[in-house]
Amino acid sequence: MDNSYDAIVIGAGNAGLISALKLVKENKKVLILESNNVPGGMATSFIRGRFEFEASLQAISGYGSSEKPGPLYKLFEKLDIVDKIKFINLTEAFHVYCKEKKEDYVMPFGIQEFINKMNEYVPNSEKAMKKFFILAEEVQKALLFLENDKNVNSQTLLEHFPNFIKVAALSTDKVFKALKMPKKAAEILSTYWVYLGSPTSTLSFVHFASMLLSYIYLGAVVPEKRSHEINTILAEEITKNGGVIKYLSTVQEILFEEGKVSGVRLSDGKDFKSKHILFNGSPTFLYGKMIPKEHVPKEALKLTNSRVLGARGFSIYLGLNQSPEDIGLTDYNYFIYHSLDSNSEFENRSALKNNSCVATVLNNINPHCSPAGTTLITLTSTFFGDAFDSKVTEENYFELKNQIAENMINNFEETTGINIKSYIEEIEIASPVTFARYGGHPEGIIYGYKLTGLDNLLPRTLNKEKENFIPNIRICGGFDAWGNGFSNTYLSGYRAAKQTLLDMKGEEE
Amino acid sequence: MNDLKLDGLGKKERLKFKNLSKDREKVMASTPLDNIKVDYNTNEIARSLHPKLQYVKVIDIINESSDVKTFLLAPNEEKGTKKLAYFKAGQYISVRIRIGKCLYKRPYTLSCSPKLALNNRYTITIKRKEEGVVSNHFFNNITVGSSFVVSAPSGTFCYERIRDAKNVIAIAGGSGITPFISMAEAINDQLLNFNLTILYGAKTRKDIIFKEKLDKLSSHEKIKVKYILSEEESDKYETGFIEKETIDPYLVEENSFFVCGPMELYKHINEVLKEYNLAKKFIRTDLFFSEIEVRREENFNVKVITKDKEFNITCNGKETLLSAIEKNGILAPSSCHVGVCGLCRSKLISGKIKTFDSDLRVSDKNLNYIHPCSSFPESDIVIKLPN
Repeated sequence: MDNSYDAIVIGAGNAGLISALKLVKENKKVLILESNNVPGGMATSFIRGRFEFEASLQAISGYGSSEKPGPLYKLFEKLDIVDKIKFINLTEAFHVYCKEKKEDYVMPFGIQEFINKMNEYVPNSEKAMKKFFILAEEVQKALLFLENDKNVNSQTLLEHFPNFIKVAALSTDKVFKALKMPKKAAEILSTYWVYLGSPTSTLSFVHFASMLLSYIYLGAVVPEKRSHEINTILAEEITKNGGVIKYLSTVQEILFEEGKVSGVRLSDGKDFKSKHILFNGSPTFLYGKMIPKEHVPKEALKLTNSRVLGARGFSIYLGLNQSPEDIGLTDYNYFIYHSLDSNSEFENRSALKNNSCVATVLNNINPHCSPAGTTLITLTSTFFGDAFDSKVTEENYFELKNQIAENMINNFEETTGINIKSYIEEIEIASPVTFARYGGHPEGIIYGYKLTGLDNLLPRTLNKEKENFIPNIRICGGFDAWGNGFSNTYLSGYRAAKQTLLDMKGEEE
Repeated sequence: MNDLKLDGLGKKERLKFKNLSKDREKVMASTPLDNIKVDYNTNEIARSLHPKLQYVKVIDIINESSDVKTFLLAPNEEKGTKKLAYFKAGQYISVRIRIGKCLYKRPYTLSCSPKLALNNRYTITIKRKEEGVVSNHFFNNITVGSSFVVSAPSGTFCYERIRDAKNVIAIAGGSGITPFISMAEAINDQLLNFNLTILYGAKTRKDIIFKEKLDKLSSHEKIKVKYILSEEESDKYETGFIEKETIDPYLVEENSFFVCGPMELYKHINEVLKEYNLAKKFIRTDLFFSEIEVRREENFNVKVITKDKEFNITCNGKETLLSAIEKNGILAPSSCHVGVCGLCRSKLISGKIKTFDSDLRVSDKNLNYIHPCSSFPESDIVIKLPN
């Protein structure tokens, strides 16, 4: 048995799968090693009773449609999988509740629609909102420009993107101020901060604006048959093109020969050889555990130590035995906040003090996702700092999970006035412990490192090549520059594959 | 594009952009050169609760009846297992037993209080089945000092306080008492808090497992136990089957039913419970698939493909594909053996199977994935295992 490959992909998450597919399509001999028994990583589904729950997906942005293709659509097209997966559109952008002030707002997709609706809620917000979207568009173009040409000089940027240059290093809050965004409008606008896991005082404006523009302009989708369908199709395409996927295979160590990457060793002692590794996981464990100390450059240690762990995940999956109409659930996603101010919300979550969550009701966009007369609802929250980590013990674990879940469900009911508790037929609770086990990341973080200060999108992107500390190891996934999210991780995998192809080419020459 | 007025932003902000890359490098440079923190409490607990494998040894064997034994397990420290994982009452472990060249895996419910796990002990209770390769191995060959490998605790046949009623009627048949003895012990140890009535059906008095323990536990204000004998008349016990009249005295306004036992029990209880017109959420069952009848007494050719090798074996329509795979000494991942955990998920390349598996993901159904642990062949089969 020949155990050597052109490239080894560690982790069959979104990024790992896409990178492998790109590489096999370029006729490379690829091995994927995945420690779970199915592909997809966090982007998976599971069954309880008569319900199939999406484990982490709430919305895929950046997809669009054949008429209005987003970057993800174009990627799937390039990889010939666009016709293989059916997607369903979300119908509204979000429904956000502010518990403290007993207010709620429903926002639509479409830029003009979004601006109009905002002006209804916050009169005189129109001018600032228009400016926001114009600026966001410039930001998005500039980011694309930068991605295609890393060595672009600042004079060129200044000519083409003068406003981008001004806001590029600023936080979201600072730019809101410069735009004279009314406070309420800024708060409603920043509803999505929670998906980036960073409050608007520290989150970079360019990242926030680019994401929101994409979301409002292109809309968002979910796969009709859960993300597990995407994973299975990607896995089958990889295999069809000659790739090998080994499940239940945990990589323990990266192997080196004469100072260069030479392969990997599994926890059961098996070795596989390759000069190229694509790593769909956390740099913390890559540099901290998997690479022998003598091969970890000082810079890698320093960089990793300078970073902050991002949002820890907590999800409650409920199968309800009534239809959404009967229960009174009308929307797809409910953002249940105590305060619309992301900064105070963040502080409270860091202390596990409030019971905020995002609730998604899949049936409201995908009516046949569960049997007739039932509802799939998932309540997800994120914790920050060691709020959970410092409380949990093996002995209190099950009860602590129940307590948090119960508080979160109660808070959802109190805030929306919708009773869900008495209809619970199935329940599963995933805590940071669950995510730590399944995803293998430190402290059960689900969004990679916190996007903050100089660890925001732009500085990450600008220094990306410099920070590729060990030749021929490419890091991809939620720990990459763009952070978490389906679109981001798929695109990250594609970029990593392209880099690896360049690395391979460089060797030939 | 230049007409966007951004108040107060200008040269300073442009400079900040220009310096982004350098500033990031500075942050990095000023970070102390320490080892990267890799030990986290959360991850440690994840490893404790879900170890990949647990090496255990038998430290005591208790004869519960002529054909039922309880095995007391402790960590096998020489093999590196220092402690046993905590669990929820009602969960099982998958036991791996090597017999000859074959590796068999069987799920057994943990028949003790979760508290025992905190003292690094488990018990499993096994009933000898006439044709049971593994149960007979346990009776004939496993002694105090024997060691083997078990999985992490798993399974969802557990009381969930957010979901279930405060009043639980547990209906047990034969060795189906095991999850309920664990739940009763957990209530007694104040790990769970609900009212539990165990209605325990057995053939005769000597078939009742854990009689002494159950009698003791029933002195707890939240625990009631009632025995019903189907093949023996006795003044002290009710005779016959568990009927509506048996259940009625224990009901309050809202009740959850947990049912565990042989197939005949499910069928019978299913009929009985129909009279209450209960929502599905109030009836929870722990399925024993091997008890289900659909079999075709015929041998089929099965080609089994793994990453490294291909095997040609035969499988009778009466047995599951996984059972034939195991018997032929082929390694395959598995755990629950009732089509729920998904560990044995395999691609059916060709052929027809019969399954009672409702736990396949919708896309897996469409793309021809099956759970060999709960699939019976109905034709010749080609199957690709996950390993």
